[in-house]
Amino acid sequence: MEEGKLITPGPAGYKPEPAAFLGVDLPPPGKALLYGEIVDEEVAMREAAKAMLTRRNPTIFPGPLVLWGWNASAMEKAKAVLELAAEIPNCRIIPMPDYRPKYPKIDPEAEINPNHPNLTIIHNKIEACIFVGVHCHYANLSLRMIRAGTNCFTIALCAEMGHEDAMVSLRDVHAEEIRKFKDVLVQVRKELGIEWTPKPPPENPSLPKEEWTTVSPLDFGEYAALLIPRRGEVVEETE
Amino acid sequence: MGLEYVRISPGFEKYMPRDYVDLVKFGQFGREVDVMQLGQFKELVEEHPMCAGCYMAYFIRIFYAALPKPEDTIVLGTAGCARLALSQAAVPFIYGNYGDTNAVASGLKRALSIRFPDKDKDVVVIAGDGGLMDIGFGMTMHSWFRGEKFTTIMVDNEVYGNTGGQESGMSPKGVQLKMAPLGKKFDKINAVQLAIDAGCVYVAKISPTNPKKIAKVVRRAIFAARKFGPTFIHAYTSCNIEYSIPTREVLADARKREKEDFKFFEWMTDEVKEYLEEIERKEKERKKQEVKS
Amino acid sequence: MTERKPEQRVVDPEYLILEAPRERKFITGSQAFAEAIKRANVDIAIAYPITPQSETMHLVGDLYAQGYVKDYYRAEEEYGAMSAIAGAVRGGARAFSATSGPGLLRGLEAIVSWPGHRRPAVLGVMTRVVNAPLSIQPDNVEISYLLNCGMIVLHAENQQDVFDFTLAGFVISEKVDVYIPVAVCTEGFFVTHAKGYVDLPPEDMKLPPRDPYKAPVPPTDCEIPPARIQRDAPVQKSNFMSYLIHAVWQQEIWSANNRARKWIKHYLGGLVEVVNPDAEVFIVASGCAAAQGREAQRYAEMEGLNVGLVKVKSIRPFPAQEIREVLKKAKAVIVPEHNIVGWLAKEVKAVIPNSGIVVDGPRVYGGMTLPVELIMEKIYEAFGVKKAKKTVV
Repeated sequence: MEEGKLITPGPAGYKPEPAAFLGVDLPPPGKALLYGEIVDEEVAMREAAKAMLTRRNPTIFPGPLVLWGWNASAMEKAKAVLELAAEIPNCRIIPMPDYRPKYPKIDPEAEINPNHPNLTIIHNKIEACIFVGVHCHYANLSLRMIRAGTNCFTIALCAEMGHEDAMVSLRDVHAEEIRKFKDVLVQVRKELGIEWTPKPPPENPSLPKEEWTTVSPLDFGEYAALLIPRRGEVVEETE
Repeated sequence: MGLEYVRISPGFEKYMPRDYVDLVKFGQFGREVDVMQLGQFKELVEEHPMCAGCYMAYFIRIFYAALPKPEDTIVLGTAGCARLALSQAAVPFIYGNYGDTNAVASGLKRALSIRFPDKDKDVVVIAGDGGLMDIGFGMTMHSWFRGEKFTTIMVDNEVYGNTGGQESGMSPKGVQLKMAPLGKKFDKINAVQLAIDAGCVYVAKISPTNPKKIAKVVRRAIFAARKFGPTFIHAYTSCNIEYSIPTREVLADARKREKEDFKFFEWMTDEVKEYLEEIERKEKERKKQEVKS
Repeated sequence: MTERKPEQRVVDPEYLILEAPRERKFITGSQAFAEAIKRANVDIAIAYPITPQSETMHLVGDLYAQGYVKDYYRAEEEYGAMSAIAGAVRGGARAFSATSGPGLLRGLEAIVSWPGHRRPAVLGVMTRVVNAPLSIQPDNVEISYLLNCGMIVLHAENQQDVFDFTLAGFVISEKVDVYIPVAVCTEGFFVTHAKGYVDLPPEDMKLPPRDPYKAPVPPTDCEIPPARIQRDAPVQKSNFMSYLIHAVWQQEIWSANNRARKWIKHYLGGLVEVVNPDAEVFIVASGCAAAQGREAQRYAEMEGLNVGLVKVKSIRPFPAQEIREVLKKAKAVIVPEHNIVGWLAKEVKAVIPNSGIVVDGPRVYGGMTLPVELIMEKIYEAFGVKKAKKTVV
């Protein structure tokens, strides 16, 4: 189905042109983008579902707008994302909690960062993914880099107008539309004859580091001197 | 809004990286911490790419721990060393163009005051001596003349550290640095006096040798800026690289300078003094209550 | 802050811009800017004096005094003004500023970073001489400095355009798929200080307030996640970054610029206006030169010469396809301009396959006016019409 199409899974090369330069337009309300072409939502949903069900290591990348419960609709959307994840066989959730590059590095199994999404995709051999709850600017950066350097099939569930560089882009997606997509996915799964009992994806593998309730300043070794006044030193009030 | 945007969506706690879970559970959001408990809570800034032994990095660490309301604080920075750590903190950080901090902060603070007239949104500029007293001098001064209600903190390492050690207006006279091959020919700018004359309502000069004192000064500057007008902290944060201070001696150097030209200095208007005393009295009472219960 | 609140009701942008009844007024270009600001629900305007822009920002100051604009101040200089605009827009406000010539260049470092920082705002640019020898008179070479920063650049022909472009500018600028600033340029004095007819929608209507959460980037207001954010373009240090992030970021700005096409078509009727599409010879012009080009086209038609006009309203995004299509059969293209470098002629040459048909000029600069006769001379040349030289006294 994707043969001869403009926006297909990569790697598209060292520095591919963005889809918007290639003439891909964002879809009008009620429509969706599939491989850079404007199609009916249903058609795009089915193709997206097929990708998530048949490609290796399907993963959902939820962004800050669903990870953080900053309002009721965000929390409802988060719930819908978890319901969707449960229906995809062996699906994983790798969050994008914020947009800033991290020093010294991210843990690619624990998170994805829009400044180098390839690290997470390549490390985990992800061949199909869903972006949801990521601000459009950052989603576009990521989608473009993923298309450039990986063979990952990208699906954008966008609350606004959509994304040209995703293989499938749905627009105006909120909790209700995510559930609609889930229903389509379940339908396609049955058609493909894939057996699956819904279950939540595995937890985040990042290991507990410190136990903040028990750490003492003495754990900071030689630097403790900077934190704690030395023996015999009098701490004066500021006046 | 405050805390809502640093609360994890129900069901997602187990999918978040540990870092963020800790930040919410053991961090500073929604509670005030004592800077002396540093190390016993999840700090707003941890790993950063500043040099080993950097005293500015230490100051920034204490600064974040001292924030009275991190969930409603925005930090602005500019080119220079400080932003390397500021950009790693779990507090919104704005990095604009060269030396523009105090102009950007003026627009930002005004926008927030229009949109949230009944809320305290703390805006804090942390920039270097070059950013505030050289390239951004006009904008720094005019934000003070206009009485803009935000805090400016100058982390003064007396040099352009990030671009490789050039002379700045805050370098001491006579010091030989890049772009001052024969030594600096004029005195260190008296930033504190300028701040007082330009209309800052709270001004402090500090060599950060005592965490409690740093925290107190930072909090006072932020509280005063909320209500009265511009506030300014001039902090000595040595550059151990360009001034060749052995890592183990940065604290000793800070103490030495404290005895010389960085003697603790604090100035505020009478109404600020009254206001701060009231806040600190209430804080003490609250702490007493906490101890009792 | 002001307590004065004029009686205005919020209406849908579609209605205010495209449908509302309009009343004709005879006003200056500066007044046209102010009339747009009055209806644009602007939160903050920041001003710094420079001729010929000052009058516009005086009038906007009056709007602040009357309560139409919520905050207003005179900044320290243009770099400070444009930086403060960036701060206010980050904080979720709708912001406006305007400048001219040397002021634009002084503010340029801040202005050219707005698109990369995804700052929706409208900037009025009332062009004047920027270079020595200094003059306060019109010369639009400064527009060429804006062409490569990613922002949307509209060029107004007259007072009506000033009003329409400015009001629609806010709406286009804040579209989620665009979200970059809009410069509304026009010639100083010729437009700003001269009167023209402007059809205005009712003054008791205004645009809805800016919704900073309907955006491709979060505002910095501590109300929306993520808490840990530094979204500005100087992407900060991480040991595993490639410069691809910087490249795709730039691509995103120009993609946004490209996406503005459909909104410019929707709200302003297109990126170009074409008069007599079947002409043999075309005048391609923008701003004031388009007004003179319009006259030349009319003269030529009266003389029986088949001349057309392409008025370029949007310089960025540039209407490459539209121009290529119109000029397909043209035998000559005349590009009159108010600057010495001929930036529009270069743009036109770059988008057609046969750039040899483009006649360089006529160009005036340094504050000179552009007489229609200069354009006529080029038209006669193109048609091989010999005219006796008149002596101009």
